[in-house]
Amino acid sequence: MMFLAAEEPNVLRVHWDEVVFGAIAFFLLLAVIRRMWPRFTAMLDERTNQIEGGIERAQKAEAEAEEIRQQYREKLDEAHREYARELEKAKEQRAAIIAEAREEAQAEAQRVLDAAHAQIEADRQHAFAQLRGEIGALSTDLAERIVGETLGDSAAQNRVIDRFLEELEQSESASQAEVR
Amino acid sequence: MSAEARLLAAGEESCHLFGENNCGFGEVVPGAEIFFPEPWFSFGIPGTSGFTKYTVLLIICVLLVLAFSYFVLRRASVVPGRVQAAGELVIEFIRSNVVRQQIGKRGDKYMPLMMTLFLFIFAMNIMAIIPGLQLPVTSHLAYPIVLAVYIYVVWNYIGFREHGFRGHVIAKLAPPTVPKWVLPIFAPIEFFSTFLIRPFTHAVRLFATMLAGHLLLAVFAAAGWYMLNLNAGGVLTVVSVAYSALALVAFLVFTALELFIMALQAYVFVTLASNYIGESIEGGH
Repeated sequence: MMFLAAEEPNVLRVHWDEVVFGAIAFFLLLAVIRRMWPRFTAMLDERTNQIEGGIERAQKAEAEAEEIRQQYREKLDEAHREYARELEKAKEQRAAIIAEAREEAQAEAQRVLDAAHAQIEADRQHAFAQLRGEIGALSTDLAERIVGETLGDSAAQNRVIDRFLEELEQSESASQAEVR
Repeated sequence: MSAEARLLAAGEESCHLFGENNCGFGEVVPGAEIFFPEPWFSFGIPGTSGFTKYTVLLIICVLLVLAFSYFVLRRASVVPGRVQAAGELVIEFIRSNVVRQQIGKRGDKYMPLMMTLFLFIFAMNIMAIIPGLQLPVTSHLAYPIVLAVYIYVVWNYIGFREHGFRGHVIAKLAPPTVPKWVLPIFAPIEFFSTFLIRPFTHAVRLFATMLAGHLLLAVFAAAGWYMLNLNAGGVLTVVSVAYSALALVAFLVFTALELFIMALQAYVFVTLASNYIGESIEGGH
């Protein structure tokens, strides 16, 4: 083979400038990568954190949602119960109001009735009292008339009586008018 | 005859199989000279190569790794984009398949070092198959040796710091499990292989693979061109085209294989580096 020939350059030869350049290149890259490495590992840690945190957050959110749902359900039940209670109360109140109104109306009616009765009674009493006073006078008057007239004929008698009655009627209507 | 002159000569004569002026494949096959490109300017210091294609490729590699570290590490976001997700895949691969296995949990501290090694070596290797560049930077021993020597220094530093001379050196040269009478043979061999030539084996493993792989690709490419002779006439043209096609297919297959080997060699280098560092952390066995 050609490259084994004596005049061929030696492939194992190490050039010093290449050693220096190689070292510079290597140490430059090593320094850059060493410097940037913490950023990379920090990113990996952050990723782990976020994944773990994400799972945790999801679990927490789920628990929270479940709790809120439970609360909501309880509140809904409570609202239903409250509504039923209010309805019941309203019904009771309505019944009570109706009963009260009825009672009041009855009492009022009774009172009006009682007042009317009392008025009637009072009027009656008044009429009686007046009549009692007048009856005496009328009787005396009548007797006087009867006695004063000739009691001979019945016709005269009748006339007297009729006249009396007429007067009585008149006085009565007059007294009635007075009562009114 | 210098490499340039010979290539020029071969081009002028248009040396092809079955041709009038067939000079033989031995004349056109690429040799070690493909690893010694002419410098654009020389530093004028003995033992230096000057500013060559290797220097340019090295700068490109540095920029590539810097781009990786910028897009994947610096702009690391909790919700990764495509580039970052791909980069994280590589980092995760090195972490779980190399560092954690070779060093353990304490190895996380050495992740930046291992990532730098892996990305840098892979970038230098992959230069071999990027059209227009097509030269692995690691095919010059200087580059792998820098990395290997650095690992050797770190390995010794950690070993002495964690376990002292006794734990780091004596425990390796004379492990309690080895019978006393073997020690006179065992200790020198162990000393030689572990303390003397380890950085060289570490570097040469990478260097030699990339050199050989690239040479193989160059040979197939040259062979494909050499065997293609459309002016051979008749059956010979058909045969030359068939040969050439075969070389082309082989070239493509070996290119794919090379891509795999480039990643594999970077992986192997990093695995060994992790292994050495893990060993120095744990102390003598």
